[in-house]
Amino acid sequence: MTRKALSRRTILRGVGAAVALPFLDAMTPAMASSTLPGGAPVRMAFVYVPNGIDMRFWNPDYEGKLKELPSTLAPMEPLRDQVTLLSNLTHNNGRALLDGAGDHGRCCGSYLTGVQPRKSADDIHCGISCDQIVANEIGHLTRFPSLEIGIEDARQAGNCDSGYSCAYTNNLAWRSETQPLPPVLNPRDLFERLFGKDAHLTPEQRAIRNDRRRSILDFVTEDTHRLQGDLGPTDKRKLDEYLGSIRQIELQLAKAEHDNAQIDPGMDKPYGVPPDFAEHFRLMTDMMTVAFQADLTRVMTFLVTREGSSRPYREIGIPDGHHPLTHHQNDPVKMEKVVKINEYHMRQFADWMMRLSKIQEGDGSLLDNSMIIYGAGLSDGNRHTHEDLPTMMVAAAADTFRRADASSTARRRPCRTCS
Amino acid sequence: MGFRLTRSIFVPFLFAATLSGQTFQSDIRPVLEDSCIACHNGDSASGGLNVEKYNSADDILASREQWEHIVHKIRTGEMPPRGIPRPAEDAVAKFLGFVEQTFEKADANVKPDPGRVTARRLNRVEYSNTIRDLLGVTFRAQNDFPSDDSGHGFDNIADVLTISPVLMEKYMDAAERIASSAIGADPLPEKPIEAEYHLKHKTARRLDVSMIEAQHRVEWDGEYIIRIGLPGERPKDAAAVELALFMDGEKLHSQMAETKPSGLVYFDPYSVEEMRLFLPAGDHTFRVAFLNDDFPNTLGEKELYDREKNKYIESITFEGPYPTDREPERRKQILFCDPSSGDACVERILSKLARRAYRRPVTKEDVAPLMRFAKMAQDEGGTPEQGIQLALQAMLVSPHFLFRIEHDADPTNPEQVHRVSDVELASRLSYFVGFDARRGASGAGRARQAARARYAARAGRPHVGRRALVDPRLDLRGPVARDAQSRSRQPGPGKVPTWGPELKEAMRTETEMFFESLLRENRPLSEFLTAKYTFLNGRLAKHYGIEGVTGPEFRRVELNTPERTGILGQASVLTVSSYPTRTSPVIRGKYVLENILGTPPPPPPANVPALDDGRQATGSLRERLEQHRANPVCASCHDRMDALGFGLENYDAIGRWRTEDGDYPIDSSGTLPSGETFEGPQGLTAVLETQMTDFARCLTEKMLTYSLGRGLERYDRRTVDQILKNVAADGNHFQTLVHEIVESLPFTMRRGEEVSEQTGPRGQEIASK
Repeated sequence: MTRKALSRRTILRGVGAAVALPFLDAMTPAMASSTLPGGAPVRMAFVYVPNGIDMRFWNPDYEGKLKELPSTLAPMEPLRDQVTLLSNLTHNNGRALLDGAGDHGRCCGSYLTGVQPRKSADDIHCGISCDQIVANEIGHLTRFPSLEIGIEDARQAGNCDSGYSCAYTNNLAWRSETQPLPPVLNPRDLFERLFGKDAHLTPEQRAIRNDRRRSILDFVTEDTHRLQGDLGPTDKRKLDEYLGSIRQIELQLAKAEHDNAQIDPGMDKPYGVPPDFAEHFRLMTDMMTVAFQADLTRVMTFLVTREGSSRPYREIGIPDGHHPLTHHQNDPVKMEKVVKINEYHMRQFADWMMRLSKIQEGDGSLLDNSMIIYGAGLSDGNRHTHEDLPTMMVAAAADTFRRADASSTARRRPCRTCS
Repeated sequence: MGFRLTRSIFVPFLFAATLSGQTFQSDIRPVLEDSCIACHNGDSASGGLNVEKYNSADDILASREQWEHIVHKIRTGEMPPRGIPRPAEDAVAKFLGFVEQTFEKADANVKPDPGRVTARRLNRVEYSNTIRDLLGVTFRAQNDFPSDDSGHGFDNIADVLTISPVLMEKYMDAAERIASSAIGADPLPEKPIEAEYHLKHKTARRLDVSMIEAQHRVEWDGEYIIRIGLPGERPKDAAAVELALFMDGEKLHSQMAETKPSGLVYFDPYSVEEMRLFLPAGDHTFRVAFLNDDFPNTLGEKELYDREKNKYIESITFEGPYPTDREPERRKQILFCDPSSGDACVERILSKLARRAYRRPVTKEDVAPLMRFAKMAQDEGGTPEQGIQLALQAMLVSPHFLFRIEHDADPTNPEQVHRVSDVELASRLSYFVGFDARRGASGAGRARQAARARYAARAGRPHVGRRALVDPRLDLRGPVARDAQSRSRQPGPGKVPTWGPELKEAMRTETEMFFESLLRENRPLSEFLTAKYTFLNGRLAKHYGIEGVTGPEFRRVELNTPERTGILGQASVLTVSSYPTRTSPVIRGKYVLENILGTPPPPPPANVPALDDGRQATGSLRERLEQHRANPVCASCHDRMDALGFGLENYDAIGRWRTEDGDYPIDSSGTLPSGETFEGPQGLTAVLETQMTDFARCLTEKMLTYSLGRGLERYDRRTVDQILKNVAADGNHFQTLVHEIVESLPFTMRRGEEVSEQTGPRGQEIASK
């Protein structure tokens, strides 16, 4: 595929100006050119934390080049040169807009899709998310068009929000308006997905196995077409989803065959879900790092925990649930705990960024060739505000963004992260 | 749970607005003018409601959901709020009478509509159960597949169950593994494989002082050497203890283990117990425990894991597989003839497997491609068994297996209402009441099937919709704080059991067994709230402070005191409706409204103002909440919700009985908006008992939703009403409810799909909610 390689430097000179445009739209074609001079691919990841972030300790009180980082961001200090803070972004479609309560459901559903999710428990309708727009363009180049990662088991957090299906809070990536992509939560599953379960097989055995799988896929595809003939439209759509997934596995098989080499993940297969949050985070990001490094994928979304998550953080002395704490009603004790959770999340994230920055790639680091966005769909979790969303961009793919800025756009500028 | 007014189903009702001499203008409008419009007008629309625009009975029907809400609010006394005078009682009676007659009249004109269930993929629980019933293989889909999304409180709602590429990969892998477990045609690995689970590596967890647990996937049927690591030693005179191995709750083996010093090791004492056992392939939970081991009770907390003071359990290791002569029963059932005798046998085996996997009779067209797989494996030098295994693998990813699909003669004609086929009905039954579809699929008559359903209900099959009452998300949120526990540590000799997976599982088991027993024994529905018995094991009994129940097994316990009466006295419900560190009368009140009375409160309005704005509310939790309710907007819902929740304040955040919360004595009295007052959980139960019809309706709606796998629509109201009538006529027995659902219109019939343009409930329709 040839694609006009737009100079990202041109498009995105001065992030402040760029975000005034629907900024990923402008970037997508550039991303789609997929490799940088020197051959290293460009990667992109979105990392999402729930229940807002206390902005008092996130926003610097100035614009322009970043000096010492605000306290929540302090763990990013060693990488300050690669940090860009985008301030004052509003996600308009996270707001009620006549749909009433349900800010948690809405802010997550709209975060990467840019659309107002339909308020319904079963008639889910959202939009294709921007990571998937990119994956549609460059996904064919890697074994996995995209990866969706998470940490919190969907069933742990109780109620989904005020009439919004759990699909909106369980998922960050949407493949289509009606099909969310659930994150992989278990490190072992992620390991097996990325590096295969058949490492013990010989190449011949693996070839036989792939042949068989392909025959099975052919068989069920044919069966499904036969079946679809006399079904109603909704049933047909369900089976179309099924067929779409089948096709994707076929592509994966073809890719795997092409690069029959086994990737050495450089780590032992994880046993399962570790009880410790930091360890779980570390395991997942270790594998995400290898996935980027080995070019298994170039697009990832990481739903750290879910909107409305009531997970306690006992390891840092917080036995209370995260979500109830964020409704602190200005109780300073609770507010302080929220800040501690914000910092704790940031420490894990910064730790991952440090690891990425230490991986050499060409003249720079893996981090240099990536664009990682860290943020939340709410700013003030107490009042569910959709303005001034905490949004941090790290690294800015291969020197294409001017970095180390605290850029501020006009108050309440709509944030159309995509679409 | 409300009835949704959806999409294009809405039929305009046009009829004269005169009902037995009453008119909208004479009986409705004046009440609205005097008592409602001040707040609920076009400008301020408090609570999102504007009644100014209603002018006729047609308007009432056009905004039916809104009006059902209005009726409810007025009846319970929640509206008009404090400070606004309530209209005279006869005006209220006329008002309510008119609205209800309007509803009734309209309902009489609605055509019976069974609705339509979308093709639905099996959820994780159904997948696991189906595999177990089909092949006898234990496979825990919960460990492997991504979580199922849920809607209407259930995770079996067809419209939200999708298939992502990740899930499809999982289906492919699972099919391979399950087929291999079931047929076992692949040779065992040449060398045995070792897998160790160790507390230190967090691969095993400690459930109790002398009990650990590990999840292990046994990949092949075979014999395994199992080693238990036992660090430490007890005094010279210590007795040997019984060391037992449990698999999925069943005791597989036990042997005596010495605990006194061996005399062999002086430094860092350690011993290993070894056993060799046959283990069936599949996902299993293994537990290792010292049985009836009283010794640790003599130790202090610090000494429990001191190697010089105690011997305890820290690891379990599996080594295998080693070949065995034993052929599992399930394999014999699948391979009922000798596959090496030729294709005829292979074809018979595959036909039977396919019939059961697809839950319907199969045709030549179904079996021919399966035979090709069998051939393919053999052509590659495999055995006939390997051929069958490959064909089975293919079946397990087929849409016929993964989806429950029902057919219509005319799938896009909503007028085409028809009975679901016998086979489809059998499948519906099997997933609702755990009735065995294998036999149903052979084409039994409808009457016989219904009889079977009744039988199945009576026999109380394991997964009979028990999740219908217990929210599937009932997931006993996060472990409760250790410090919260130590604060409320009770005096007395017994140690307070600490929060942990064991307690959590015990809570869930109690509620599930309770539900099952009500069904199996066909108890009246009221016993959900009033039963004077429950199911306990040692751990939970200790948690409840009930004496005389020890050991890990659950048993029925008659209650002598009222604290644990009914479902609202059960720790599962009390914990799931609390925050991790404290109770929330608001959440508990909401739980009661949603799950007992079926009248969920509307979500709080958007942008709820910060309650204090800097000023700290002070006092006990009750006082603080009361301060909040000074705001009439909040009070309109919270007066009722919080009052119900306060009735449960005698239970702490993990359901323990208490009379004090920190420095404050517990006040578990409540005053409902109607003026009715009650005292404590018993008083609350008495109040709820007077509202049994609401509970019956709530339970019926939930069971029906669960049984159909779709949200209830407005046209289902008539079904619910009919079921309730029949159930009441039969003394409100639980099995009658199950039976009535199974016989109901939406359960036995379906229709073509209404094809409309891509319109969803947007903008105004949602705004008007």
